[in-house]
Amino acid sequence: MRQILVAVCVALLLVGCASKGGTQGQKAAIEQRDLFEQKDKQTADDAAKQARIRQEQEELKRQLEEQKRKQEEAARKAAEAEQPVVKPLAETGVTGKSLNDPASMLKDPGSALSKRSIYYDFDAYNIKEEFQAVVEAHSKFLQEHKEFKVRIEGNCDERGSREYNLALGQRRADSVKRAMTLLGVPPKQIETVSFGSEKPKALGHDEEAWGENRRSDIVYIGIDAPQ
Amino acid sequence: MKNPGRPDSSRYSDNKPHWSWHVVACVLLCLTATTGRAQLTIEIIGGGADQIPITVLPLADEEKFQQRISQIIAADLARSGRFRLQEIGSVRPLPSEPTEVNYRYWKNRGSQTLVIGKVAQRPDGKIEVRFRMLDTAKESQAVGYAYTIVVPQMRAIAHKIADIIYEKLTGEPGVFGTRIAYVARFPQRFELHVADADGGNSQFILAHKEPIISPSWSPDGTRIAYVSFEQRRSIVFIHNLVDGTRRVLAAYDGINSAPAWNPDGNRLAIVLSKDGISQIYTINVDGTGVTRLTNSNAIDTEPSYSPDGKYILFTSDRGGSPQIYRMTASGSNVERMTFEGSYNVSPRYSPDGKSFAFIQRMQGRYSLAVTDLVTHQTQILSDSSLDGSPAFAPNGRLILYASIVGGHGILAAVSSDGRIKQKITASAQDVREPAWGPLVGNR
Repeated sequence: MRQILVAVCVALLLVGCASKGGTQGQKAAIEQRDLFEQKDKQTADDAAKQARIRQEQEELKRQLEEQKRKQEEAARKAAEAEQPVVKPLAETGVTGKSLNDPASMLKDPGSALSKRSIYYDFDAYNIKEEFQAVVEAHSKFLQEHKEFKVRIEGNCDERGSREYNLALGQRRADSVKRAMTLLGVPPKQIETVSFGSEKPKALGHDEEAWGENRRSDIVYIGIDAPQ
Repeated sequence: MKNPGRPDSSRYSDNKPHWSWHVVACVLLCLTATTGRAQLTIEIIGGGADQIPITVLPLADEEKFQQRISQIIAADLARSGRFRLQEIGSVRPLPSEPTEVNYRYWKNRGSQTLVIGKVAQRPDGKIEVRFRMLDTAKESQAVGYAYTIVVPQMRAIAHKIADIIYEKLTGEPGVFGTRIAYVARFPQRFELHVADADGGNSQFILAHKEPIISPSWSPDGTRIAYVSFEQRRSIVFIHNLVDGTRRVLAAYDGINSAPAWNPDGNRLAIVLSKDGISQIYTINVDGTGVTRLTNSNAIDTEPSYSPDGKYILFTSDRGGSPQIYRMTASGSNVERMTFEGSYNVSPRYSPDGKSFAFIQRMQGRYSLAVTDLVTHQTQILSDSSLDGSPAFAPNGRLILYASIVGGHGILAAVSSDGRIKQKITASAQDVREPAWGPLVGNR
């Protein structure tokens, strides 16, 4: 048993390649020889001698482990010197979420909320397929932000009767309000008004201007318009 | 002023059925408005058949005053399209009293009717205006009056004389002494104006940066109801022209619009959307007694009372497109009146109740049309493409309406037989929403 242990220690010493380790290896080999001689002679002072040897073995083991540690440290440093150090920052353990400003969400040009107008065909007030997403985006926003109120402003092109257009503009605004309330927006968050053909955004007298003016605008009170 | 000339020679060379498109009468009246902001210029195109020849001589001493009465009279008569104004010739001095008239001379010139008179300043500063209309065939006076006025009444007295001449020769009341209301739009401002029927003496009674629409005269001519957006939504006001005060007639939630007086002047039909969609209601002049007249799931708007007050014409899209309907004044017996085309709006009863004017869309053009309530015949009276807001003259002879020419809003007028047309342009960016005031006595 002891022989095996000594053999392992010798093997470990031989694996060591540092210049300083060379002298230590020679010294250990000498002591090992002495050990075999003492066993053969069967001295009376055997127990005390074994205790001294055990102590020396412990010391040797400690020195070997120190040697190994220093070598690993050197290897690690060498490896680190050749590659960038990449490591995650330790978790702080504090949870949180990103901060939102609802008003800036309304102004984000990338958001469906930035679209505030619904356009119509002549003498029509139905919300066309392509504007459903606009109505839905604002409906969702209004449900999530109960502090906001909108005014739906109905407009018409100049053709025909001003009074009929005033009524049609109201119907356009009311149809947007109805769609929003069906999507769950409380009615008290929505007011409607018709300007008929009295406040044209485009001032021309052609189809391009008329198409622009057949429109409901979703106006956020306090943001797009004064309170 | 130019002689209007003869209309008939040109009418048959033109392929348009209702119009004489040659300019047979082109009278430009550059009228000075008191505000200086919305001057109207009236151009007359076309002329009726069977025009009555008349010679209006300058009134003696009228040149001493800024307003020349004979010129205003002649312009009024020419503008009606029913008179052919003749040259005054070269004989001098011009007569101002019947004893000075050489009837043979005027008969030989083809004048059947001669208007003479004089203007004199009295010692008290007032002005005496005398006029006589003479029948040259009978060599006698047909009518003659003397008036004592002050200078600001010069235009009014000229219109009154023109009305007397018109009625004497046509058998119908003249409307030269009536007034019109219209809306002028400037870049940052809307103004509701009241002017003489010839566009003169125009002055605003309301100005605001928000739009004004649908002026409607009370039957006695003392008040105008209108819709103002000054509170950023449509509200109906009644404006007293005598004292300049006004008050809210209706300001319910939603639309308050399209006021129309009943012939008695004690109630109005209006349009409210307070109960959902735009419907027709009646309301007392003081704003009380709101009563719902229509009950549809469609737009009902633009009420117009029949002259006897028994019926109301209105616009509704209950059939899927806007069409004109008639109901009793209590809202019963609704009957559809228009069937041609998919857009018929803005009905207005004629003063005799026998026909109605409206705006009809045909081939993408919005034109003034008149339908006879007995024969159900419809006649298109305008040829531009964006016409609206018809308003009958109180004698039914002319219909004033809004049009767009060269990108600007103008007023136009056409005789109810379609023969005579007037184009009224303004110094304002746009003029629109005409309403013709009633025939009232001396004002």
